[in-house]
Amino acid sequence: MQGNALVTFDGVIKRFGGFVAVQKLDLEIHKGEFLAIMGSSGCGKTTTLRMLAGLEAPSEGEIRLGGKPINDLPTWKRDTPMVWQSLALFPFLNVIENVEFALKMRGVGATERRKRAGNWLERMQISEFAERNISQLSGGQRQRVALARSLVVEPEILLLDEPLSALDAHLKVRMQSVLQNLQRELGITFVYVTHSQSEAFAMADRVVIMSKGVVEQVGSAQEIYRAPRTRFVAEFLGSSNIFAGQIAADGTLSTSTGQYRLPRDMSGTRPKSTATLVVLDTRSYLSSVEPGPEFDWVRAKVVGEEFTGAMAKIYLETADGSELRVQSGYEELAKLPMNTGQDLFVYWLPEDGHVLPIA
Amino acid sequence: MRRSVSLYGLTFSLPMLLWQLFFFVAPLVFLIALSFWTVRNFKMEADFNTINWVTMYGRSVFWQSYGLTLALATAAAAITSVLAFPCSYAIAFKLSPRMRQWAIFLMVIPFFTSYLVRVYSWQIFLSDNGIINGLFASIGMGPFPLLNTVFATMIGYLTLSFPLVVLLQLFSLIFIDRTLIEAAHNLRCGRIRTVFAVVIPSARVGLVIAALFCFILSFGDFVSPVYLGGGDPTTLSILITDTTKSGQQWPRAAVIALTMIGTLLAVAFAAVGFAYKGRTK
Repeated sequence: MQGNALVTFDGVIKRFGGFVAVQKLDLEIHKGEFLAIMGSSGCGKTTTLRMLAGLEAPSEGEIRLGGKPINDLPTWKRDTPMVWQSLALFPFLNVIENVEFALKMRGVGATERRKRAGNWLERMQISEFAERNISQLSGGQRQRVALARSLVVEPEILLLDEPLSALDAHLKVRMQSVLQNLQRELGITFVYVTHSQSEAFAMADRVVIMSKGVVEQVGSAQEIYRAPRTRFVAEFLGSSNIFAGQIAADGTLSTSTGQYRLPRDMSGTRPKSTATLVVLDTRSYLSSVEPGPEFDWVRAKVVGEEFTGAMAKIYLETADGSELRVQSGYEELAKLPMNTGQDLFVYWLPEDGHVLPIA
Repeated sequence: MRRSVSLYGLTFSLPMLLWQLFFFVAPLVFLIALSFWTVRNFKMEADFNTINWVTMYGRSVFWQSYGLTLALATAAAAITSVLAFPCSYAIAFKLSPRMRQWAIFLMVIPFFTSYLVRVYSWQIFLSDNGIINGLFASIGMGPFPLLNTVFATMIGYLTLSFPLVVLLQLFSLIFIDRTLIEAAHNLRCGRIRTVFAVVIPSARVGLVIAALFCFILSFGDFVSPVYLGGGDPTTLSILITDTTKSGQQWPRAAVIALTMIGTLLAVAFAAVGFAYKGRTK
């Protein structure tokens, strides 16, 4: 993989006074991949992106771009264009002048840069707005201008800092496919910072999940979803039931709500050690009668429902106060008494469980 | 019902309306009327005669004075803006918020003292046996003629408008979106170039308004050209006093005053138009 790395973060630490924003980051970003960095606010994802752009200097460690250290290179000497959350379009320039800006700074001649900027406007389907003011454009059109402005210099990498967060849901999905297609056509690296799981999982080849300045997991959307590495990731995704406990002598997991069997491939777990079992909400089921012996189960009370299109998500609470969730189709739910406070069995196949590598 | 609402609104806007009526519209109308009066045997008579306009506009002294005043005020606006910009830029972008408060406070302090007093104190510095020439004398140079020069007049104009220009520039620079500056850097625009490519265009309205204020203050100023410039060459404000003193020619002074008001209005409209050019909101 060594030859494939475009960007390498090597033990990068960023402190702001006494606050450590990024702690000892080791990360490789591959050529031509769509990488999403995800986490809640203050997790260090934007700081990581800004260090790559040269807008913040790392306190320790080294960042390499194409094998060369770039720590001391100011942002205007790097080719790491960024798309801001606010887009940061220049309001005193019209659309095509905004797109031309970077070319002008590189000393590209007037006719040449107008031509190249024009090509990008065409590519982003905003040619008709070339002479408009930024204030006359809609949110989606501004997005496209911002993308064209950054891509006009044909960089190897594009940095995006939550660029879609200001758009409404419908437009967001459309811009997601615009971004994805653009990245595939250009074959360049996109680094996309977001707090939105749906954006990251929909677009990215690999997702980095950060919390409190630490990378919790790196992997494809499928990998992370099916096999979260830490409790934080499992909780952040919000799509799993989490049971923490101790491995008993017979190899089962002893928790405050009951004894559960572990999936077969968990032979490595030693008795007495602590472990955390997670079960996806789509692999968890509801019943009003006790499930058969092939299942493990826990009793819980219904506390709420959420409807998401074809599926419903039911939230329940166990006797010890921990929250459970089950995703289910409407037909199955119709057979069950679903009033709030209703006592039900949440059950699953032990084979569908996943034990966190880091408890 | 409707009547009471408009009465309520009128109660609050009435003082302002009356003020404008009594102290702006009425004197202006009187000034216009006055410019058509005539003077006989050192006494003014109400009349409708264009002789004052014809006489004044026919004099080369008037046009020389007009050109000089226009040039001085334009130069003052340009010099003050250029000198004030690094100052306001540093306050806006380089100082911590706490230091910025102190800097703003320091810019307000000059207004505590009368402008006339500040101009007089410049005489102590600039006269032939003043502080500056005293320093030159101690190293065996000078004395250099500093007082009663255009240079001294310009110092007076700076004294009058520099703090105000810094404050006006500052308030437009503070509100520049910092991400625009980062975006410019990110698009390969270096530090100095960013000032011209992004900071100045972003703050254009404030910068133009600041220069306009300096122009207005300098164009009508009487104190600096008299007490620092020595009254020679003559600016329009000096010409007005000269005209009134020589044979009660208030009507001719009115012509000069009206020409100045017309010029200021034209410049102000042009400047505001330029400041907001290309903005559609």
